[in-house]
Amino acid sequence: MKLSTLYLLCGDPDQFRRAKAIKNVLIGRRTVSNLYWGLEYDLLSYFGVLRNFSLGDEQATIDALVRAKMVIVDEGLLYKLTPEGQDKKQELSNSLGATKELTTVVKYDIVRFSRRFIFAAQVISEYSYANSQYYPQTIGFFDDQLIKRWFIQNKERQLPQYFHDLLENFLTSLNSDLLANIFVQSLSGHKFSGETEEQIATETGLDPTIVQLQWLKLYAKLFLQLHDDRLTPLKLLLSDLERPVMSKSAQQTFDLFISQNKFNPAKIAQVRGIKLTTVLEHLLEAAIIQPRGQFPFDRLLTSSLKTKLRDNQSKVDGEWQFQDAKAHIPELQFFQFRLFQILERKLGQND
Amino acid sequence: MIDLNKELHKHSAFKSFRPGQEEVLLNLFAGQNTLAVLPTGGGKTLLYQLYGAITHQRVLIVSPLISLMQDQVGRLQYLGSKRVVAITSAMDFKERTAILRNLSHYQYIYVSPEMLVNQSVFPFVAQQNIGLFVIDEAHCITEWGPDFRPDYLRLGAVRKQLGNPLTLMMTATATQPTRTDILQRMGFSVGEARQVVMPTNRRNIFLSAKVCANQKEKNDQLESLVSHLDGSGIIYFSSKSQAEQIAAMLTQKTHKRVMAYHGGMDNQQRFRIQQQFMNDDIDIVCATSAFGMGIDKENVRFVIHYHLPNNIQSYVQEIGRCGRDQQPSLAILLYEPNDQYLQLGLIENTIPEEQLLSYLYQHPNELEKNDAFRVIKYYYDTGKSFEEAVSIFDQAKKHRIQELEAIIAYIYTTGCRRKLLLQHFDEVVNNENSEFCCDFHSDFWGHWREFNDHYLKGVKQVKRQRSTDWHQILNNLFLLKN
Repeated sequence: MKLSTLYLLCGDPDQFRRAKAIKNVLIGRRTVSNLYWGLEYDLLSYFGVLRNFSLGDEQATIDALVRAKMVIVDEGLLYKLTPEGQDKKQELSNSLGATKELTTVVKYDIVRFSRRFIFAAQVISEYSYANSQYYPQTIGFFDDQLIKRWFIQNKERQLPQYFHDLLENFLTSLNSDLLANIFVQSLSGHKFSGETEEQIATETGLDPTIVQLQWLKLYAKLFLQLHDDRLTPLKLLLSDLERPVMSKSAQQTFDLFISQNKFNPAKIAQVRGIKLTTVLEHLLEAAIIQPRGQFPFDRLLTSSLKTKLRDNQSKVDGEWQFQDAKAHIPELQFFQFRLFQILERKLGQND
Repeated sequence: MIDLNKELHKHSAFKSFRPGQEEVLLNLFAGQNTLAVLPTGGGKTLLYQLYGAITHQRVLIVSPLISLMQDQVGRLQYLGSKRVVAITSAMDFKERTAILRNLSHYQYIYVSPEMLVNQSVFPFVAQQNIGLFVIDEAHCITEWGPDFRPDYLRLGAVRKQLGNPLTLMMTATATQPTRTDILQRMGFSVGEARQVVMPTNRRNIFLSAKVCANQKEKNDQLESLVSHLDGSGIIYFSSKSQAEQIAAMLTQKTHKRVMAYHGGMDNQQRFRIQQQFMNDDIDIVCATSAFGMGIDKENVRFVIHYHLPNNIQSYVQEIGRCGRDQQPSLAILLYEPNDQYLQLGLIENTIPEEQLLSYLYQHPNELEKNDAFRVIKYYYDTGKSFEEAVSIFDQAKKHRIQELEAIIAYIYTTGCRRKLLLQHFDEVVNNENSEFCCDFHSDFWGHWREFNDHYLKGVKQVKRQRSTDWHQILNNLFLLKN
C-alpha cells in the first residue's frame, strides 16, 4: 500500500501529527506510545488495520509529500496538511467512503479471510466446469489444508450455485456497480484471473491504495454477513480469525486490577512476578482501549492531582510535554501524566 | 519392461516424449544415476513426475528458489499430482513443524538446499524412504556461477546420509567443465552416472542484438519493438524498479497490456499476473530473471533483454522461454554502453571485498548474523585460510568479469551469433537455415517489421474478450446446472 495515500487520509490541517506513530498505529505495533497517539489522533479504532501490508518508508514518503506541496513538516517527522493536501485528502476520502467496516478488520483477520474466500471461489469455479487441471493458489500450509477439508466436507452442497447466489445478492446489495466490479476483480477462477489493484486503478482512475482499502471494506462486510448466517456452508472459512483487542498479558493485569480484591499496581507486580513498570504499561494500555466508564481512573489519579494538571495543561493539541508539567508539579510521575492525558482525551471524546 | 509411451499417455496429456526425456527415464528405470541437460522447455518436471507416478515412490526435489518451488508445486498439482509440498524458509515455525510431522503423507517433496541441510529439517527427511533424489538447476553447484549456493556443495554428503538413493541431476545448460564439476561434487566417479545431454540449440529462436547510443535510444527502440511485435513477450531486467518503470512507460506509450513482475511482489499479485499472462490477458511481462522458471507458457513469441544477462548460460536459459511451441520466435538483446557498469556494479555487490572478508575472519560470530555472509561462512567452516578465501573470491570475480566480457563479445560479434553462443557448449551449428538464424545472416534491423509479419504474425493467438460486467463475470465463473 502507498504510505503517502495513508498519510493524507490520516493527516490533519490543524494538528502536526507524528508520521512514525501513524504508521505504527496502522500496522498495529503495540506500544503504549503508539496506542496513545492512536487515541490522540482518533485513529485507535484502526489500530492494526493494515498489519498484513508493507507500507514503505516514512521519511521518504513525507519527503515526497513535501515536494508535492501536500504537507509541511516540523522536527521529528511531524506533518500537517497544506490546503492542497486537505483537498487531496477530501478527494481520497470521497472515493473511499465510510470507514466503519475497517474497524471489523481490526477485530478479525479479514485479509486471511479474503485469501481463503478467493481460493475457495477458485476451487468451486473450476469444480463447476469439472476441470481438475489448473494452477491452484497457495495461501499457506494450514489454510491450504483448511480449504481442502472444507471442500471435501461441503462439495455435495451445490456450492457453485451457492457461491453464485451469495455473490450476486451481496454485490447487488452494494448498490454500486463500481464497487461490485472492484470486488469481482479480486476473484480468480475458470478462465478468469481477476486484476491487480494497479490495473483496476488505471481503469477506474482511483488510487491503487483506495482499491486495496475498498477490498478490505468489502471483504469485512461479506465476512460480517457470513458471520451472522448460521447456515452458511462457509463456516469453516470463518474460523480462527478473531484478534484480541488487548494483549494477553495486559488483559491479565487489567483483570487483576478490576477484580474484587482491587489489587494495586505493586501488588499485581508481586502476584504476577513482573516488573512494576510493565504493570503500569499494561494499565495504560487498558485505559486507552477500554471504554472510559470501564477503567477506574480515580483509583490511580487523585482529585487534587487532576486539578493541578488541569491548571497546567498546554493549549497546544497533542504536544504537551511531561517535562513542562513536571516543572510545575515536581512529584508528578510519567505514568500519572499519561493517564491524565488519556482521561482528558476520553472526556473530550465523550464516549 | 515398462512401456513408457503408454505410461506417458496414462499420466499426462502429452502425446509423445520430447528429445531426451525417454532416454533419461530409461536410465532411471535401469537404476542409473543420471545427469540430464535438457534445454529450457524440454520437460524436466515431467521426468520426475512420471517416475513418481509409475513407481509410486517418494521423490525429493532440491530446488533453488522459493518462487520457483511455489510454481513447481502449482505445476505438479496442475498436472494431477496432489500430494506435493514445499518446505521453504518463507514458512513460519508452526507451519514447518506441521509439514515435517506429516511428511510421510507427501509423495513429492520440494526443499531448498539450505533447508535440507538444516539440522531441524534433515532428520525428518532422512526418515522417509526416498525413491528418487532430484537436484534441479544443478548448475548452482558450480562454484563459479553467479547462482552459486554453498549448501549445494553439501548435497553429495546428504545423498550419502540418505542411503545413496537413485539420483537425477537436471539443468538446462551446462558446459563440459560444469558437468564434470557437478558430478564430482555430488560424489560420483567417472562412469558412475550417465549423462544425457541434449543440444542447447533452439532452431526456432532467431537471435539478434542491438547496440544503442544511450538509454533514451534504447527506450525508444524498445517502445517501437513492443508496439509492433506480435504475440506474447517477456522483457528481462536486472532491477525491480526499472522493470516497474519501463512497464509503466510501455503501458502509457503503446497499446499493449504490460505488467511488471518481480520477487518483491506478494503471492497474490504474482499469481494474478502469471495467470493473466498464461491466459493471454496481458501481452508483455517486464520481469526480473525469476519469472518464468516454473511457468510453461507455450506461445511466448519473443524475449527481449533490456539489461545484460549474467552470462551466456543464463542468456540461453532465459531466451529459451520463448517458442516452446516450436513456432518461430525471437530473442533480442538491447545494449547501451553504460549497461556494462550496471552489471559490474552487481558483480561488485555480490562478491565481498577484502576488507569485509578480513573483518569477518577476525569476528567469525558475525558470520551467523547475516544470510549474505553464507558463502563466506562456508569457506570459513571448511577451513579455508583468509588468504585462500581472498584468492577464491578474487578468482570468482575475475570469472564473472570474463563472463560479462563474453556476453559483450556476443553483442558486438560480427559473425554468426548462433555459432558463437553454441561454442560455449561445445556445439557446432550444422546445416543451419541461414534465413532464420540471426542478424548476421540477414538484415534483421533494417526489416524487423517484415520479419514480424512473416514469422510472428502468422502464429495464431487467441485473444479473449474480457468482460467488465460483474454479472457476466459471475455467470462465467460458476457454471450452473440449470
